[in-house]
Amino acid sequence: MLVIGMLRKAQSGAALLGIVGLAILISPTAADGSRIFLQVGNLTDILRQVSLIGIISLAMTFVILTGGIDLSVGSILALSTAVAAMGLTRAWQNAPYARHILLAIALAVAASALAGALNGAIVATTRIQPFIVTLASMIGVRGLAKWLTDNQNIDIGFGRDVAAEFAAVFREKAIAIGAYAVCAALFWAVLARTVFGRYVRAIGDNEKAAEYAGLPIGRTKIWVYTLSGLLSGVAGVLYAAENHQGNPNAGVAYELDAIAGVVIGGARLSGGRGSISGTIVGTLIMGILTNMLRLNNVDSNVEMMIKAVIIVLAVAVQRNSD
Amino acid sequence: MTRRLPILFVLGAMLLASCGGGAKKQLAVAFSQANNAEPYRAMQNAFMSKLFAQYPDVKLAIADAQQDNSRQVAQVETFIRQKPDLLIVAPNERAALTAVMGQAVDAKIPVICLERDILQPNYTSYVHSDNLAIGRLAGQFIVDQLTKKYGKPKGKVVAMRGLLGVEGEINRDRGAREVFDKYPEIRIVAEPVADWIQAKAKDRMTEVLRTEARIDAVYGHNDPMAIGAYLAARELGRDKEMIFVGVDGLGGPAGGIRKVMDGILAATFVYPLCVDKTVEIADKILHQPGFKPEKEYLLESAMVTPENAARMYEKFTVPGMN
Repeated sequence: MLVIGMLRKAQSGAALLGIVGLAILISPTAADGSRIFLQVGNLTDILRQVSLIGIISLAMTFVILTGGIDLSVGSILALSTAVAAMGLTRAWQNAPYARHILLAIALAVAASALAGALNGAIVATTRIQPFIVTLASMIGVRGLAKWLTDNQNIDIGFGRDVAAEFAAVFREKAIAIGAYAVCAALFWAVLARTVFGRYVRAIGDNEKAAEYAGLPIGRTKIWVYTLSGLLSGVAGVLYAAENHQGNPNAGVAYELDAIAGVVIGGARLSGGRGSISGTIVGTLIMGILTNMLRLNNVDSNVEMMIKAVIIVLAVAVQRNSD
Repeated sequence: MTRRLPILFVLGAMLLASCGGGAKKQLAVAFSQANNAEPYRAMQNAFMSKLFAQYPDVKLAIADAQQDNSRQVAQVETFIRQKPDLLIVAPNERAALTAVMGQAVDAKIPVICLERDILQPNYTSYVHSDNLAIGRLAGQFIVDQLTKKYGKPKGKVVAMRGLLGVEGEINRDRGAREVFDKYPEIRIVAEPVADWIQAKAKDRMTEVLRTEARIDAVYGHNDPMAIGAYLAARELGRDKEMIFVGVDGLGGPAGGIRKVMDGILAATFVYPLCVDKTVEIADKILHQPGFKPEKEYLLESAMVTPENAARMYEKFTVPGMN
């Protein structure tokens, strides 16, 4: 088991290295002859561009490990951008900036975690499949975000007001990448080093066995979906800062990107198998691929076809070790 | 089964509550909107609701097709069954909606086609603006600015493209290209596709900035994409190097006109909402028996620059709306 696990990790690592190698090889060069792909600025661009999907996919890994799925993450992200922007522009007008910003972020993340908890509670207490529960909340939460904002974007300007200050701080590359790194470390530690992490894996591996062993299945599931909502909320706050707006239409199809990252990272959709490191590798493969093709001005229609081939190849390489 | 009965009862009650009331004679106006998610279209909806609210005998119903042809066809079919006194359709795509709008005309329902054309004149009246002309205006503005900068028409332009294949995207692109083609020293150095979405435009512009050492102008085929490009350039400290030009020119704090006032966009070109004209015609169709509307109404664009932005903001911002 251990050997196979290590082999599999080595192979997803090999897929990543292959893409990086290709990207370096075909990278256009700057005026000084250096490869643009390898510039520190470009490498951090990639990390920042994948950070939101990356953060969401960490909790998605937990959800998929339990044999579930969370389709509502994009809608929850939109809710979070909207709540954060509304909190910043329409509430607590007299609070000091730091407290005002913290309150707005807390409100956005709390609303998102609540939406996730609702998913979890329904999944845990009814026999409705997670796909259906989160499909419903994908629709419902999107509606909530649009209703709250009256379908309008909520603008965060460039002035000196509290909303602008919020954006100035949280749109920083280091913040987005740092948030991704911190969340990744935490989720890795929880999965690999805690009892809760073992429950998550055990439930997806064999739910009946876990039930007979007396594991707290319902509670674990509620937590897993709550975490998924919470991280979608964190990603939403970063989105609002980066794009200077609360946008009820943000995050459409993000659930698919997040699931793609998890699956390319070697997770099994039926649960029980998957890892945080694999998910990070899967997310990076997608990000580097996009960057590589854009730097070379590849036609955007061709780009989609190339991506399709590489996704299948990346997963196939790993499946061969089964 | 018995346990499910209460749920069914509640659902039934909700259904009854939602369609109850309304026995008195009112004029029904049905509006099938292509996609509420675009700010331009959200603004159309809000503006239309506001204008029709002036007529107490008119009841407006808006359906959102969510950028999906078959959904919109189904919605129009349902509207035809309801026999409204007027049907307004903002078609998602030309070919898909042509036939069903013909059915509405055959059913003797007056039909106003809003802003996007269809393959056959299956409407009572067609209210629209001219994207090709807007493309030419935007192209000429960029040429003039570059001439001012270098003493002759030369420079590097990035075209930030919307959803490929859509009429607005095709003609906004073609119009500007026609103008650029007259000046051999003006080159389009990159034309990334960002599907009208600000967040995507920011990512795609980041890559262009990495590969192009000097850029003189960004032509965003809508304002959100021009703003996304600005955010990317600003992050790299290069926002002063180039000008940003957009199209849409919406009012309100999150619209493009505000961004011209803030010095973010050098100019935006108003793509008229077409709503005030539509409501004006609708009023006559509904209240003046025997009124014969024109087959086509063409509304002109307007250029918004820092000189006239404040005035345009007044004109295009609907009071009481975001």
